[in-house]
Amino acid sequence: MTNTKTGVERIYEYRDRLKGIIEAMKQAPEEQRNPFLEGVFTLVLEANEKTIDCAENKKPFISSWYGNSPEIYTSMDIHFINPVFDLLFHEYLTDLYDVKEADKMSLPDDICSLIRFGAYAVENRLLPRPTAIVSMLEPCDGELMLHQYFQSSDHWGGVPIFALDPPYGATEEDFKYFAGELKRMIAFLEEISGHQFDVEKLRKIVEEMNLQYELWGEYNELRRVTPCPHGSFSGSVPFWALTQHLPSGDPRATELIRMMVKDAEAKVEAGIGAVPNEQIRILWADLAPQWADLIGPWLEQEWGANVVMDYQGYTPYSQIDTSTEKTMLFGLARRSLHEVPMIRQGRGTVEVIIEDMTRIIKDYNINCVIWPGHMGHKDVAGSINFMQEVCRSLNVPLLSLTTSLFDERYTPLNRVKQQISEFFEAKGWKRVNR
Amino acid sequence: MDTLKSNAMETFKQVVSTLHNPEVQEWKQQGGKVIGYFYSYIPEELITAAGLLPYKIRGVGSPGAAKADKYFTHNVCTLVRDTFELILDGKFDFLDGVIVFNACDHIRRIYDNWKSLENNHYLNFLVLPKKYGKEQLERYFEELSSLKEEIEKLFNVEITGEKLKEAIKLHNEKRQLQRKLYDLRKRENPPLTGAETLTVMIAGEVMPVAKYNALLKEFLEELEVKEGQKPAVRLMLLGGEIDKPELLEIIESQGGLVVTDYMAYGTRAIAYDVPEDGDPLKALAKYYFEDRPPCPRLHGTYQKRFDYIKKVAKDYHVDGIISIRLLLCDIWGFEQNDVSGMLKAEKLPYLKLETEYALTNAGQLQTRVQAFIETLKEVCA
Repeated sequence: MTNTKTGVERIYEYRDRLKGIIEAMKQAPEEQRNPFLEGVFTLVLEANEKTIDCAENKKPFISSWYGNSPEIYTSMDIHFINPVFDLLFHEYLTDLYDVKEADKMSLPDDICSLIRFGAYAVENRLLPRPTAIVSMLEPCDGELMLHQYFQSSDHWGGVPIFALDPPYGATEEDFKYFAGELKRMIAFLEEISGHQFDVEKLRKIVEEMNLQYELWGEYNELRRVTPCPHGSFSGSVPFWALTQHLPSGDPRATELIRMMVKDAEAKVEAGIGAVPNEQIRILWADLAPQWADLIGPWLEQEWGANVVMDYQGYTPYSQIDTSTEKTMLFGLARRSLHEVPMIRQGRGTVEVIIEDMTRIIKDYNINCVIWPGHMGHKDVAGSINFMQEVCRSLNVPLLSLTTSLFDERYTPLNRVKQQISEFFEAKGWKRVNR
Repeated sequence: MDTLKSNAMETFKQVVSTLHNPEVQEWKQQGGKVIGYFYSYIPEELITAAGLLPYKIRGVGSPGAAKADKYFTHNVCTLVRDTFELILDGKFDFLDGVIVFNACDHIRRIYDNWKSLENNHYLNFLVLPKKYGKEQLERYFEELSSLKEEIEKLFNVEITGEKLKEAIKLHNEKRQLQRKLYDLRKRENPPLTGAETLTVMIAGEVMPVAKYNALLKEFLEELEVKEGQKPAVRLMLLGGEIDKPELLEIIESQGGLVVTDYMAYGTRAIAYDVPEDGDPLKALAKYYFEDRPPCPRLHGTYQKRFDYIKKVAKDYHVDGIISIRLLLCDIWGFEQNDVSGMLKAEKLPYLKLETEYALTNAGQLQTRVQAFIETLKEVCA
């Protein structure tokens, strides 16, 4: 039987759910409203509407992945989707529906859950067929193979594809090579979309993004204060969505980040910490988990612990020189390869993990490192000895877990909490609620 | 095999069963140096041209990964963990250098960890682009040029164009002989098993090539006139760096015969020769990166891979296809899945298997293969 689903049906579902949520948020009493979240949700909703418009009206749009310099797409007025962004966004709004459904796939369950979700979404036609695909081949084998899977799938097979080849190192030569890849990507995008690349438009976007990353940097500075003004993972999750998953350079996104900075600033000035009697300052040495909202509050309430920094939030994005097309592409190449979370830590040799861990522990007054041991991060699983050495040399305890950052069932949350509690107890920390 | 007079197979078995094998020992006793490498995108010819012995590293004989656990958690494949245990045990101390490339997320961390050990070897890391393309071929060529310079400097040798051409010729001869070996398996009654073939293929990566070629010639002469038994079913095996003849013995113990493959130690390594004219380093780069049947890890090659698998299956009159994957391998996790649609369209029966490097699930493998072969027999009948 022919599958008649186009994939746009699911986007309508996302859109309608979000509309309802935003409507409900707006109806809350003024003092209970959260303008930051409302703002983020509105931008996601707009992206969904754009996807529907493109899919239904034959306007060009592409499937891409974070770290592929989305600034370029936006500057060329090409809408983009990430195959897993909406699915993850709605994970906890649908009682893990897709997470459970993905179990039915024939792919092995030791492949990264996130990567499996990407294959699941295409296999089950939960995304419309894009005009083109820009593949990311880093930081892991799963990512590379997922994009080959797309080519051999029924739904997306035959879609024109451009793959960005990542170098392994982080030298000027490496960035120049990747800038060349971005240049070739632009030529590909012009061909498939009919849209012309305009350096002035790119400059405008990059300048706005520079501002967003500068604000993010300021926000991170504020998280260094003891007590930390905001709770676990609170900047990293929305900021990554705003900068890498949604159309780039939107001044409204800049304002949302600024809103967080101002709030943190005010709390620092008032000496207010997100966790009363903050006793444990954690570095979560990976991306924020999808279950951040379940583990974060528990850490705070049970142990007076705050995840002060994680690798998703620790993004030492540098400013891009906007003087010429060449400088911008070079800067975007450096950002894509060396600054975007996960790619930064996972792509090349182990030095970056050592450097980041050392700097965060020192700069953020970290007294405990938790490595979640995400089952998809096989390269990091081969870096455990280096992490132990760093923690030992800085006299900070390291807890090594095994979890899936995207599927809380992999190691049940209660088990994770139990392991963390046993570790804290062994290190002499006392529960705060007893 | 019992009827053969040549002791070639005995030699092959012997060199494959241990790491510091007698052929390597003899080479070292004569003052020769040995370069170990992981895996198929490191041109052996470059090492041979420097007067060194190329030696493909394996985890054979590993006692497990008790010590390696400190470096690699259980989320890393057992091939890497078991091999690293041997590294920690000093079993590769006979090597004079090691070359690693970014083959996969597991292997690439062997480089970082090995480098961190005290008294380590000379270690080189070669970067293989992740996609197929003109600019990427140039990048790979540059990598080979740097590797050549580094080997020259470190071992105080000059790798001239002439030496490279000689090495290419020598390795081409090896590939031609190995292709003859494979051609014998196209017969209705193949004179050797899949496990024996894999043993011969591995031997070619862990002993001096000239001697290997001489032995293989001798072995082929005898095989030419040997008649095997007609197998109940003819199988093709798909996989990556499968280097355990025991695995094929398990499969073949159930009544089928592995007559061909799509593996790193198999058809992928011998399908074509390196051109012997023109710039030899460029020829090597093009051969390894572009001409050979590719590894799934190279983006943009899936159609080429699938077409090659179909062709080989047809050439060897295959009845069924088995793919094997080491647990935790993402590359072969996807490849096993992706080829299934293509094989279904070709009406080729297909079985997916998973295992650990130490083949700890041998019984389960046997059961699954047995059921598959029974089905194939019914279809063939």
